[in-house]
Amino acid sequence: MFNLEKLKQIHPSIIVIGSHPAIIQSMLDFDYLSGKTDPSVKAILAGNRRFERYFFGKKELLIPVFPTLSDIPQSILESITYFFNTTSGRRVFESTQEALQLLPNLLGGVIFAENVPEIHALKLFNLKEKSKKFFIIGPSSVGLLIPSYLKLGAIGGVDYRQLIASEVFTSGNVAIFSASGGMTNEIIRIVTQQGKRLSFALAFGGDRFPILTPKDAFLAAEDDSQTEAILYFGEIGGTDEYDLAKLLQERKVTKQVICYIGGTVAELFKTPLQFGHAKAMAKKGEETARAKRDALRNAGASVAESFSEFVNMIKSLPSVSNKPRKNYTIYMNDLKDRRSALITTSISYDKEGNLLILGEDLLEFTKSHSFASIVACLFLGKKEISTDLEEFVDFTLRILVDHGPYVAGAVNTIITARSGRDLVSSLASGLLTIGPRFGGAINQAAANWLRGVRDNIAPYDFVEEFARSREYIAGIGHRKYRVDLPDPRVEEIMKFVKRVDDQRFTNYAKAVEEITVAKKGNLILNIDGAIAAVLLDILKEKEEMTYDSLQRLIDNEFFNALFVLSRSVGFIAHFLDQKRLDQGLFRLDEEDVAYVK
Amino acid sequence: MARKRISEYKAKMLLFEALGLPYQGIQVRNSDLSFYTSLDNTKTYVVKVDQGVKKRFKQGLIHLDIHSEMLLDSIEDLRNKGYSQFLIEPYYKHKAEDERYLALERIREGIAVYVSKKGGIDIEEQQNFVQQFIIPQDTYQEVAKYIGIDAKLVEKIIKVMDKFYISFLEINPLVVKENKLLFLDLAVEVDSAGSFFVKDAWNERDFIDYAVEHTVEEAVVEELSTRSQASFKLVVLNPNGSIFMLLSGGGASIVLADEVYNQGFGKELANYGEYSGNPNAEETYIYTKQLLSLLLKSKARNKILIIAGGVANFTDIRITFRGIIQALTEVKHELQKQNIKVYVRRGGPYQEEGLAMMKSFLEKEKLLGDVSGPEMVLTDIVGEALRFLKSE
Repeated sequence: MFNLEKLKQIHPSIIVIGSHPAIIQSMLDFDYLSGKTDPSVKAILAGNRRFERYFFGKKELLIPVFPTLSDIPQSILESITYFFNTTSGRRVFESTQEALQLLPNLLGGVIFAENVPEIHALKLFNLKEKSKKFFIIGPSSVGLLIPSYLKLGAIGGVDYRQLIASEVFTSGNVAIFSASGGMTNEIIRIVTQQGKRLSFALAFGGDRFPILTPKDAFLAAEDDSQTEAILYFGEIGGTDEYDLAKLLQERKVTKQVICYIGGTVAELFKTPLQFGHAKAMAKKGEETARAKRDALRNAGASVAESFSEFVNMIKSLPSVSNKPRKNYTIYMNDLKDRRSALITTSISYDKEGNLLILGEDLLEFTKSHSFASIVACLFLGKKEISTDLEEFVDFTLRILVDHGPYVAGAVNTIITARSGRDLVSSLASGLLTIGPRFGGAINQAAANWLRGVRDNIAPYDFVEEFARSREYIAGIGHRKYRVDLPDPRVEEIMKFVKRVDDQRFTNYAKAVEEITVAKKGNLILNIDGAIAAVLLDILKEKEEMTYDSLQRLIDNEFFNALFVLSRSVGFIAHFLDQKRLDQGLFRLDEEDVAYVK
Repeated sequence: MARKRISEYKAKMLLFEALGLPYQGIQVRNSDLSFYTSLDNTKTYVVKVDQGVKKRFKQGLIHLDIHSEMLLDSIEDLRNKGYSQFLIEPYYKHKAEDERYLALERIREGIAVYVSKKGGIDIEEQQNFVQQFIIPQDTYQEVAKYIGIDAKLVEKIIKVMDKFYISFLEINPLVVKENKLLFLDLAVEVDSAGSFFVKDAWNERDFIDYAVEHTVEEAVVEELSTRSQASFKLVVLNPNGSIFMLLSGGGASIVLADEVYNQGFGKELANYGEYSGNPNAEETYIYTKQLLSLLLKSKARNKILIIAGGVANFTDIRITFRGIIQALTEVKHELQKQNIKVYVRRGGPYQEEGLAMMKSFLEKEKLLGDVSGPEMVLTDIVGEALRFLKSE
């Protein structure tokens, strides 16, 4: 389908396959200068980043990046109406075919890469012919431009000043087609400099088999009620112009057609000259510029013999736009000096002196949330959480607050306090001991349970894997408590798991425990392992988190964060206590140190 | 980038292997004569120039029925005519009336097959006898029946074309003789964009223009283009021409070259070429350097340099002009000495900065012909430059 009037009724939502920052930014600038409030680029398919930063006007915009199409949420996939494919020529066929399969509401797309094999272009052409639902422009195309509606590609320029100079925000009556991207833009400029405006413009690309053919474009211009004249720039090589001549002769295209076919210079040479585009070479007489000019002229088109004649023919078109030029000064100021923010955040900001937390007024937010709820909301970066999560976080924060003066962090805090240091130094020295051997076990346990469940590892194999490499399983084992002397804190934590229907992580942790306690009685599920398992179950069911987002929480130490926050209370308590008891400098006795040679 | 003719030797290797036939051809490149030991002195041979030359037979570039002891003389004779790549094959006698013509070309609708019962060296004059079929609209059987071959052969050839990204394949003559087929001459064009997918079944060393002598400058540009995301092209048309063009854009470069031709200066046109696809400054510098080297070598009395292109979509004018200026700076004294003026017309992203930079450089170095942006009609820069050339 390539029907301009139908396309214009549907809001454009674009996915960019591969990334090309300058072009993406220019598409967003086009939206902004067209007066749209919603940026058209919705997603980018690229490597390892999760977002790419762009501007919409002066404001910064984060566009989500996904590694593959199947990673994109269904709601976004369904919203996509256009693709712009910037992957290399080698990957074009595969990636385009996948887009056609997975994007249910696709209207069309542009393929930017050069060097796409003919066979691949033809396969895509046949897919398009069969479906008739979408169009594909390219390969090797700078894109499609429909004033104030869509800029799909580099077409019209990537510098916003070019877009303004070319007046591509008001619609006119001239359609512009060319194999050459550069000449498409050149002709857009000629047209707009003379006070005329375009109805739409596109570049077929200079390959031998453009998927959207000149014939398709001519028919679309004929069907488009806005278009009154067609400007066509063709080149030596190929025979597409004979299809155009036929359309004119058969009166299937009745609008005024003005053409220039480049490449008469080839007449100077005995052997055929290969010009810049893959198609631009004439091996047979019918492929020469001269023969194609004659065919089009005989069919009724105005054909220029030189480029300046072509420009004069364009001048003679009736000027339709009496509209004064739009004033872009305000917009220009927005686009001129924009610069990336030094910090990007989604937690809080200051709006005219009022502090907003997660978008809500600080006072409103704190009045309506418990401390545990504030912690969970801010740590997860979302406004609302379930009461089950709130209550579990509350319990966790309370239970992790202290675990005696013997543990590494408390000892360090106490020693520092006794050295005469201040609160922050003492607290920091305690916090700095938190790591893989002290306190970090909740995070590591969460990583264990997630890996076991996600990769479907049988609990027995899971345990064996650790046994073989002689490693402890984080979340398993206690110094004091045993299978016949259970940890009462773990029992309390386990009560929370009843709140979720799907207890896959807790079940997995218990299955692991069943195997380890058979080996040794104290290899029980400990408090760290229990918190990790129950929290994973609650996050998955109540907060609807996917395995990937849980993995990201683990990678970013979310589970550790709860420990750090809670235990800080204990460290501060030990600091204040030491000061209160006025304890002097700590020093080890000789017998406390073993000297080894 | 485009369809490229490969050597007949490589073409036959691909086709014979895919058809399960033995191939006994020997490729001779330059003065490598090691093939000589493998010859059978009871047989005779065919010696051909294998550099994509058309109408070889009529030009005397194919020697038939050569005894092995005469082979060296035969090659020497062809080498004296200016060629460097040859093909030696066993000679088979056949009658002219057994010669057929078979050519296949990839087109949008599938594969166009051209066949004629009257093949051979006069095929160009015998176009009336050539019948066209299109697969899959027509069947293999229809094609095969027309020239008396097995339908399976046509099917197999088309499979070979798909497998090796072949766009055009011509066998002329195809000799059909008592149920035996001989593929005497074979011409094949591959789609160079397929080179990654054929995994070295053919590569750029097999392109026939590889065997054609290039200037050093052209070779550097070709190498540059294969290493870059952007594309570069440079062809020397007249090494002693007076009009040198540093052009950008596949389409605009044609328009600008056309303009020189339209104005009657075609014979003075020294080169065709273009860069496009947003090259960086370093690449543009290397490209410009090659063109300037040719420009300074040209023996023409008066010379001009035209740097021109349309309004670019995404090529950064600032950055590409930075590379051009760097190359111009290196040879500014020679340019001044030869009184070469530079004419510039360009538009695109960051044109304001790029054009201003170019203008102040050319002014300072007294090389300024003209610097214009999109307010000037694209081809008018050629007129400006030619006016200067005529006045000299």
